[in-house]
Amino acid sequence: MSDTADAATGTADDGEPTDAGREADTMPSPDPAVDPTTAALATDGLRRTFGEVTAVDRVSLGVERGELRAIIGPNGAGKTTLFNTIMGTLPPTDGRVFLDGQDVTERDEHERPHLGLARSFQSNELFEEQTVLENVRVVVQTSRRGAFSFDLFRDHRSVGRERALELLDTVGLDALPSTLAKNLSHGDQRRLGIAMALATDPEVLLLDEPTSGMSPGATTATANLIEEIRDELGLTVVLIEHDMDVVLSISDRISVLNRGSLIATGPPEEIQANDAVQDAYLGGMREEL
Amino acid sequence: MSGETATGEGPTEALDRARSLLLRYRVPVGLVLVVLLLRPVISHPLLLGYEAVAATILIWMVFVAAFNLLFGYAGLLSFGHAMFLGFGMYAAAIGVSGRAGAPELPFPVAAAVGIAVAATVGYLLGRLTVEKGEIYFAFLTLAVAQAVEFTANRNPLNLTGGSNGVTQNVLPGFVESTRGQLVVVFTGLEIDWYWFVSAVFLVAMLALWQIVRSPFGRSLVAIRENGDLARAMGINTTRYKVQAFTISAAFSALAGSVLMIDRYGASQETLSVITSGDTVLMAVLGGVRYFFGPVAGVFVWQFTEEFLNEFEVLHLGFTSVDLSGVLTHWQFFLGALFVVLVVVAPLEGIWGYLRDWVRDLYVRVKGVAE
Repeated sequence: MSDTADAATGTADDGEPTDAGREADTMPSPDPAVDPTTAALATDGLRRTFGEVTAVDRVSLGVERGELRAIIGPNGAGKTTLFNTIMGTLPPTDGRVFLDGQDVTERDEHERPHLGLARSFQSNELFEEQTVLENVRVVVQTSRRGAFSFDLFRDHRSVGRERALELLDTVGLDALPSTLAKNLSHGDQRRLGIAMALATDPEVLLLDEPTSGMSPGATTATANLIEEIRDELGLTVVLIEHDMDVVLSISDRISVLNRGSLIATGPPEEIQANDAVQDAYLGGMREEL
Repeated sequence: MSGETATGEGPTEALDRARSLLLRYRVPVGLVLVVLLLRPVISHPLLLGYEAVAATILIWMVFVAAFNLLFGYAGLLSFGHAMFLGFGMYAAAIGVSGRAGAPELPFPVAAAVGIAVAATVGYLLGRLTVEKGEIYFAFLTLAVAQAVEFTANRNPLNLTGGSNGVTQNVLPGFVESTRGQLVVVFTGLEIDWYWFVSAVFLVAMLALWQIVRSPFGRSLVAIRENGDLARAMGINTTRYKVQAFTISAAFSALAGSVLMIDRYGASQETLSVITSGDTVLMAVLGGVRYFFGPVAGVFVWQFTEEFLNEFEVLHLGFTSVDLSGVLTHWQFFLGALFVVLVVVAPLEGIWGYLRDWVRDLYVRVKGVAE
């Protein structure tokens, strides 16, 4: 797609003027810094409703390449729904999702990992009856062979095993390859989820509360792991997180979501000092901040 | 590898290598053992005392294993799998007999037509149903299978023979029936029907085994375990399920075409919901999580059916008890066994129990030896 043509006419790919575009004009976006056509990940007026309830309300978000962005907000603010809408797990009611300047809104959920967008889950979603190694290996296999492959004549053990072992090493599960996923400790299951997301070979990684339920020690280790992923693998990371120490210490910028709307985006110190965020939306989190 | 051997490999390493090789190829080895042992075991005087059902049992093993590719591996419970067995059976019977003006076809061609029809129906039905959710999938497959049975019963163009089925002139040229025994005549050689079926069994089962151990098969397992996660990790779950359905249907039809010869024709009762139900029960009885589950399930089911039907008088030395009246209700006893198994361990089945038992025994024997 051509950036200049879009900029000149102000229309989307299909040539129709989008509502989202117009709304962005009339309503200043809380995240105006990033142009969706150049950002690693961007949403434009993303909205998702469930009946009468608007879970995600016209969120326009732009995450730069290599950025580590945290998304915070009280429970029920719509953070996970935002992830689900970005990933295509839930189709958006309205708005667009851009990955690396490309409009991926209409792409199927299973296509997005192959375009460089991957996620981990808030609850431990795993292939529970399979070994730790197989959990990661089957994702490596998918990343290499594509969303569907009639790969019938090989032994599965010859596809992606080394890469899977490498990834287990990266997240610190290299000692447990043949343990069944369901028998891992909670913290190890969360790490396995990150390893599986990494196995898709992503450019943008969405992590949904990667440290939830972890001990302080494990939380620090996971925070270090996330920084490592960003610094050494050069990924763009978007993080939903409740632990404010983690958020403040590792994120480049923080976006605050409340009742589905994005109310502020900025570097940690700016968000900490933001009165609107303090007074209206972070209530219970004030002490932590 | 050869270098290692040259530099002097201890006997323990050689033994370890042999063991890991055996472990890796335990399924092919096991399949050969099934073929070699099934007939002598069941024809033992204390068991059945005759061998005719051995070939039938092997064919059923292929069919239930094909069903289990869909159920045990891809997690899709089809309640209408009898139709795919039926497509193979009827296509072979109609093709070979050339009845009602149908072109007379050599058996392999007729069987291939049946497999193609089954695969096509499986594919199209899969496209419509695999994403509908478990209950809907089960009911939709059941409904379509009922429609197929109804159609066969109506005898369209006089092809399917209605409730009589197709039983005239159904033996292909290379199969002869002498004194109720089937013999395959191939370039002047006479081959026992059992060995012919064994060859089909080995080829089909090895193919199914290769499918479940391939990357394709592992994707099916991932989808069964957690479809939402599989999709989020980039697996096109719909396409995998549709293809699993197609492959399962094709192998079922293959079993059906051979079963046609074994049963001397295509019968309408094969298409019935009872056949579909038995298929599910046999798979669950054997253990759906294991490749050998269907093999064990079919063996126990078919053998018990035959054994209890034949069993008449229990001799206890001093007295004899006539049990024939009770034991004709063999379904009752199998049903009881089934209920116990499902309550205790629904996914393990007989094969799962056998595995655990053998493993425990091995550990114990090893402990004693050391």
